[in-house]
Amino acid sequence: MAAKKILVADDESHILHVVSLKLQNAGYEVLTASDGQEALEIAQAERPDLLITDYHMPQLSGLELCQKLKQDPATAGIPTIMLTARGYQLEPKDTNQSGISRMLSKPFSPRQLLATVNEVLLEPAA
Amino acid sequence: MKFLMETSVRSGKILSILMVACLVGGMLCSIGSLHSLWSNGRLDLGTLGPVLFVAGGAAGMLAISSFRRNCRILIDAIHRMTTQGKLDDLQTDNHEIRPLISAVNEMVEAAERCMSDAVLKMKELEIQLKVATSERQHAQAIIYSISDAVLVTDTFDELVLANESAARTFQFDLEHSRRARVEEVLRDEKLVEMVRDMRQSNSKTGRRIVEHKIKGPGEEKIFKVTLSAVADDNDAPAGVVTVLHDMTREKEVAEMKNDFVSSVSHELRTPLASIKAYVEMLIDGEADDEKTTREFYEVIQNEANRLSRLIDNILNISRIESGLVQINKQPQSLMVILKEALEVIAPQARMKQISLVEQLTPAFYQTSADKDMLYQAVLNLLSNAVKYTPERGTITVQTTVDEAKRKVITRISDTGVGIPPKDLPFVFDKFYRAEANNHMAKGTGLGLSLVKHIIETVHRGRMFVESHVGKGSCFGFELDLSD
Repeated sequence: MAAKKILVADDESHILHVVSLKLQNAGYEVLTASDGQEALEIAQAERPDLLITDYHMPQLSGLELCQKLKQDPATAGIPTIMLTARGYQLEPKDTNQSGISRMLSKPFSPRQLLATVNEVLLEPAA
Repeated sequence: MKFLMETSVRSGKILSILMVACLVGGMLCSIGSLHSLWSNGRLDLGTLGPVLFVAGGAAGMLAISSFRRNCRILIDAIHRMTTQGKLDDLQTDNHEIRPLISAVNEMVEAAERCMSDAVLKMKELEIQLKVATSERQHAQAIIYSISDAVLVTDTFDELVLANESAARTFQFDLEHSRRARVEEVLRDEKLVEMVRDMRQSNSKTGRRIVEHKIKGPGEEKIFKVTLSAVADDNDAPAGVVTVLHDMTREKEVAEMKNDFVSSVSHELRTPLASIKAYVEMLIDGEADDEKTTREFYEVIQNEANRLSRLIDNILNISRIESGLVQINKQPQSLMVILKEALEVIAPQARMKQISLVEQLTPAFYQTSADKDMLYQAVLNLLSNAVKYTPERGTITVQTTVDEAKRKVITRISDTGVGIPPKDLPFVFDKFYRAEANNHMAKGTGLGLSLVKHIIETVHRGRMFVESHVGKGSCFGFELDLSD
């Protein structure tokens, strides 16, 4: 069975690197994007099984990225985990309408992130 | 005056009666004398007639003349008093009218007492009026000096008093608006309704505080409206005092502070997130070779340094603002400081293929400066230029010397996105970030504020900025050359 494909979007290169390494070590195929716009283009082209995105990014914020993906039927079903230092700012209606499955606040534990990824990928598609 | 006239009329009547009485008395006396002649047979009817006539006439004439003289004296005295406006005792040598004069004099004394009482009362009232007028003017001056808009309306919802600020806020003519209907002056339905509600509540000391938005000629403003019912001396409702405090700026500052806390918290959490994640990776043995392990340690070290710099930035601003910072000024070459900062920023510029152009004056031009602080200011300006300049742009660092004014001017120009004119006056404000360029880079809105503090507060220099949207910005500063 082919490895599940996960897209990671964050403008912090260290975070991108550490998350990628954790997921690769766990056997996932990882795609990376350093801003929202790039992530949108990769998601549309590659159709990943899961998106892990930062909330606060230049060009396109994490929330805007999720909303755009949700609008396109081809990408609407991609489950999303949002990493944010501003979790408190997001309204439940925003997260529900944008297909955000889980929120993890920064600083986060890569161990916990991996556990969440495994959990979300096991859930039946929405 | 009325009293004097009445007195003279009454005196005239009494004198007439007295004159008639004397005339009749004189005639009776003459008749008595003639009667004795008649009884002695020495008087016949032929002589009686003319004698009677002459005696009676003479007595009458004398009496009339005496009355007239006394009347004239009395009338003159009364006229004098009337024209001089001064009451005085009337005098007479005629014993027959003396009781009348005494009565008149008593009346004059009573009138004098009344008059002096009235004068005293009038003086008291004059003083009270002066005090009241001065108190009113004082209260008005206080109301006019208040920067908040103040409007006082009565029980008919008519404007009794308003200040300049109110006239400015609601754009009405202050001079011609007294007694105008509140709806003509305020032209804000909701506010008029609030004033009316407060007045109709018939409260004597009620107070209501509401936040209310008013669309002015420019932008919409937010006011804290305080409506107070006021009572008159008899404790009956007398009207409403409405005070409007402009909270627009306070709200903006509060919002900026919220944004700042949010930005700072994000900026602090980001390096912390990296440190925490990399430490956990090391503990979990995810770094399987020495190279990766070393790389992880370096990331942890760099991110810890970044965290420390960020905290320094925040603390520096706070220290400079509170005057607690330790400043170590020495003659420094600005060119050397600029070169050092350019070296540090070069890798970031290279990543975006931005060319760095140096147009620097020789190193021997020196300025008295705190090297660390000035370096920090220059680095912040260069870092901003890199952040807001698109790929393949150019950043020029130029210094010029004005020998005559003994000044050195530094300009850091970029070919970046530029700053919209509406944001330009606020770019050095703490926490301020131009919304249009928010997507370009992250930041706390502290960098430029710190630069301005370092140049102007610490080095007594002058900071300036020029910018054109789509063309680029130029941030510069002017410092004194040291002797």
